[in-house]
Amino acid sequence: MGVLLLTGFVCVWQLQEKVDAERTKLQLGSDELTLRSPAVIRRLSLEYAPLLGAVYWTRAVQYFGGKHQAHDSNLEQLWPLLDIATTLDPNLTVAYHFGATFLSDAPPRGAGKPDMAVALLERGIQANPDHWRFYQDLGNVYYFDKKDYAKASQAFEAGSRLPGTPVFMKIMAAKIAAEGESLETSYALWLDVYQTATNKEVRQNAEEHLRLVKMQMDLRALNQIADNYERQTKRRAASIKDMTEAGLLSGQPVDPEGFPYVLGQLGQAEPNPKSPLRAEWMKERK
Amino acid sequence: MRNVQTVAANTFREAVRDRVLYNLVFFALMMIGAAILVGQISIGIERDVIISLGLTAISVIGIFIAIFLGVALVSKEMDKRTLYALLAKPVKRWEFLLGKFAGLVMTLTVNTAAMAAGLYIALWSVTRAWQSSDIYILAAVYLILLKLALIVALALLFSCFTTPFLAILFTAGMYVAGLLAGDLRTVHGVELDPGTLQWMRGISYLLPNFENFNVMGAVVHERSVPVAFVWQATLYALLYTAIVLTGAAIVFSRRNLK
Repeated sequence: MGVLLLTGFVCVWQLQEKVDAERTKLQLGSDELTLRSPAVIRRLSLEYAPLLGAVYWTRAVQYFGGKHQAHDSNLEQLWPLLDIATTLDPNLTVAYHFGATFLSDAPPRGAGKPDMAVALLERGIQANPDHWRFYQDLGNVYYFDKKDYAKASQAFEAGSRLPGTPVFMKIMAAKIAAEGESLETSYALWLDVYQTATNKEVRQNAEEHLRLVKMQMDLRALNQIADNYERQTKRRAASIKDMTEAGLLSGQPVDPEGFPYVLGQLGQAEPNPKSPLRAEWMKERK
Repeated sequence: MRNVQTVAANTFREAVRDRVLYNLVFFALMMIGAAILVGQISIGIERDVIISLGLTAISVIGIFIAIFLGVALVSKEMDKRTLYALLAKPVKRWEFLLGKFAGLVMTLTVNTAAMAAGLYIALWSVTRAWQSSDIYILAAVYLILLKLALIVALALLFSCFTTPFLAILFTAGMYVAGLLAGDLRTVHGVELDPGTLQWMRGISYLLPNFENFNVMGAVVHERSVPVAFVWQATLYALLYTAIVLTGAAIVFSRRNLK
């Protein structure tokens, strides 16, 4: 009898695999949302909305992670999932915080939809008016993704007025208002994200951004040294070695990944062609 | 009251004999599974999930027990003909009903307390630290218990005048309607005449408002549950349960049991 039952289950397993293969051919994506109306789902959840909200948030994380691993930048279902999760549980702060990052980051890191990230965070602020972190997230989205420095400064300033907010928020509000976009400001913003992140992925993402910004700061400094070299010798340096031999540099500078910087054809400092940071740098330049 | 106590104690013993408390094994397995899994598949909601899953399980398992056993309290005694032997003794019908109600509420209290302890153990295994806000979980569990008592009373009422199947449907229907009762007072987006609105408002107050016992959202997010709210919910549950049990006693006393 036991063997018979076991055989039966093995057959069911095999059959399910065949059904799954057929479903793939039919292109019935597993990430399709059967119910899209957050209001309807909230009603159907009865009194168990907080648990269902957590379930939808987990679905959003799994969806984002799955697409990220598959290098698929089509994140069409991300907003509906976050919309449902936050409607079911308006106090689910992680969904606003990480959801905004997922939405605002440019592809391939995120969905490249900063407007939706702003909408999500504004909804989060409305439901959780005392949560100053949302203002910081909002400021970051305006600063990095929308390049709207006035609104970024306003967001930091609004957050700084809440009780218990660190002084950092007021400083950033003033710094962005005064300087607009600057590498130092970007570095300070990412450093705070890195230092306060409780999640491994977020810290890793901040670390990558910090490396990139650090490299840009190095390149800017190298270009200034190259300008000095040109003023002194009346010719542009052909390589980093020229500047070292002229005593303007104490040694071969390297990027945060340990690859030596090079001078391009126009005598401008560039990351090493072998450096993994070069691809990101090229993208930023475009 | 001695008769009520005797019936209650027997109802509790019968529930234990019927292995009703076996659901605790299912609860324990589910909480262990959740504690292991949730940290790996989601971000930043380990504590939230343990609390919301635990409270949801306590509520859902309790509701199933309250509805199915609540309906069976009277109908089973009638089917087995044990009710006739019992009522031949000096036990009044209302005493029988009240005893049955108290026995099942006792069973649910033991069951809920054990699940609450399981929830705290699962929470400790995930967070490895207590927070002052964890105390509010007890408030949520207590309110769930009040809700379950009210559902038992409704199940008893319906089982007094209809078949077990319909009694289950009516009780479940009342539970769902009771959760949506507040919405009847705040209907948006539809044009209704004042008469209909008044009627809907009246119905919303007549229905048992189960949202009065729902503080899951607040507890999950470490917000306090005001003592006044707990008192008001307790009074509401006591009053509504008393009304329903009185109704059940009236219906049951008039029922022809021949």
